[in-house]
Parts: sequence; structure tokens; C-alpha cells
Amino acid sequence: MLSGLIILCGFYLLGDFIATLFQWPVPGSILGMLLLFIALVLRGLVRGLGLGFGRVFGRDLLHAQPATHTPDALHQAAKHLLPYLPLFIVPASVGILNYAAVLQTEGWRLLVIIVISLLVGLPVSGWIMQRWIERKETQHD
Amino acid sequence: MTDTGLQWSAAWDAILNSAYLGLFITLLSFQLGLKLFAVSGRNPLLHPVLVSVLSTCAVLLSLNISFEQYYHGAQFLSLLLGPVVVALAIPLYENLKALRQYWLPFLLANVLGGAVTIGLAVWLCYVWDLSATSIASMWTKSITTAFAIELAPELGGIAAVAAAIVMVTGIVGAVIGPWVFQWTGIRHSAAQGTALGICAHAVGTARALELGSQQGAFAALSMSVMGILCALILPWLV
Repeated sequence: MLSGLIILCGFYLLGDFIATLFQWPVPGSILGMLLLFIALVLRGLVRGLGLGFGRVFGRDLLHAQPATHTPDALHQAAKHLLPYLPLFIVPASVGILNYAAVLQTEGWRLLVIIVISLLVGLPVSGWIMQRWIERKETQHD
Repeated sequence: MTDTGLQWSAAWDAILNSAYLGLFITLLSFQLGLKLFAVSGRNPLLHPVLVSVLSTCAVLLSLNISFEQYYHGAQFLSLLLGPVVVALAIPLYENLKALRQYWLPFLLANVLGGAVTIGLAVWLCYVWDLSATSIASMWTKSITTAFAIELAPELGGIAAVAAAIVMVTGIVGAVIGPWVFQWTGIRHSAAQGTALGICAHAVGTARALELGSQQGAFAALSMSVMGILCALILPWLV
């Protein structure tokens, strides 16, 4: 758990560092997430292909973990931290107190816009996926 | 008061000005939110974040505590949001094998479906002449709150307004999603999950998990992919 948290903070800092270095207007946390994801995929590829990294660290490649296995420290950290993600977004969301005026004057219009965009967005997104799957199925028949 | 030696008002002030008050109220209200959510049978309308935010606001208003006073202590929790957002890479990676033969339509659905739902919402904002704050905060409507809070300020939006829009989007999406699928004939579990993840992010993902494990996996995937796409594309677009 602790070593997982250290890795997460490390990737957060790395994301922040790169975003600032290249002056990208991307949040450091999201860039850090992307970098961690890429690192996990690369690690999986290396292990899957058996490039010998396992042996370097004194592990038997034949009994290497499957390619989509997350390191245990990270898995533990994610398992214990992610259920609390909703808690961590509460303080910033309470900031709406200072913007009550916006909701008072535009709240109803915002709600209607949200509902309309969902009524269109949900079927369109699902339809693209479903059309593709159905076409594949008929090809198989 | 001086007779008894008890400093009531000083003691009360000590609590009101304590950094721990914000932490205490947030933890308490979140616990209340979790309890109500469980008791209601996981009703999206009683989402723990919604209950927690509303009850915290109610407490602050009734005690006459400003947001800045509250945030002085509660920001400790916001600090943890960064590494936890990074941790979202782990479920994304672990769900990846569900994609296999679907990766192309999946990406297509995320790009096109995302563009349609966000584009339509922002366009309606312009049509109805909403304030610049609302428009800037509408761009992040389809990504999970944690992402929106981090991304909205980069786009000129307000984190709290973006969070409110995201929350309502997620809750409404989770409520009407299964109904919309029935009416529009979207039956395939991968398609349902993807649509819920694109349009209703984390709240939709929780709802998708109730529809089935494949819906859940695809919703979790598209929630993360939408967040990454928006974070990478929107700052250059807006």
C-alpha cells in the first residue's frame, strides 16, 4: 500500500513536471495517469514477450506473472484508495456555495441542456458500438 | 461568563477557526451520504457525493462559515485527489483485455459520441446565451468529476461549477440510461456500457455494473478514455 502510494505520487510529480516543462495546459494528474498506464502496458509487453527483464531481477521467466497483471503494490494502493475518490472531490465541489448566483439564473437552462445532450449522446454512442458488433456477427454467419 | 471562568465564545471560535472543522464536516457528511446510498438500494438520485456536498453546504450556511474558512481544512482531502486520479490507470489497465476485438468501434464511439454530446451541450449554451463561466464549465460535462475539477480551470471554467454540471449529468444519465437503451434498441452489453461511460462517466459506470459485468468493464474503460481524450484535446480547442 505504502510503496504503491509512493509510485502514484511519483507519477503525479512526473506528470506535473512534463506538463510544466512543455507548457502543456494538461493537468499533471491526468498526464501522470496516462504515463502510469503506458508504463503498465510496456511492462506487460516486456513480460509477455519475455525480453529477459524478469531474469535480471532474479525471477524465473517461466513463472512470470501474466501480461495483464498489475504489480501488487499498485493493485493494493488502487484497491484501498479508489473507493475514497468520491470523498476527495467533495471539498472542491462545495465551492459551488460561492457560485449560487450562476445556478439561480442559469440552473434550469443548464439542466435542460444536460438532459438534451444525454438523450442524443447516449443512443449515438451506443449505436456506433452496436452497429459494428452486429456487422461482425452477420459476417460470421 | 467571567464569573465561571468558562470562555464559551472563545471556545466556539476555536472550533469555527480550526482547520479540522472542514475535515470533520466533510467526513461526517460523506459517511451520511454512503449510509443513505446503501439504505436507498444504491439509488443514483441519492449519490453519496451529491448528499455529501448538499449537507456540507447546509451546515456551512447555517453556521455562517465561508467556503474559504471551510476549505482551509478540507483542502487536505483535495490534495489526495492528484495521486488517486493517477491510480485510475490501474482499473483502466486491468479492464483493457475486455476490449480485444472491439477496440476500433470503441475508440470511434468515444471520439464521435463524446464530440456529439459535448458539442451539442456547448452549442446549446451559446444558443441560449449562457454566461462565459457556464460555457467554459460545460466543456468538461462528460468526464468524471475528479478529472473535471482538475481540467476545468485549464479551460477557463470554475472547478465547482464544472463539478455540479458533471454530477447532474452523471446522475441523470444513470437514471435515464437503461430507459433510453430500451427505447432506442441498444441491446448489446458492450454498447450499453460504452454509452454509459461516455455520457455519464463514474455514476454511469456504477449503474452499468448493475446491468452486468461486461457493461461495467466497458463503462469504466470509456470513462477513462473520455477523460484522457478531453484532457489532451480540449485545452487546444477551447
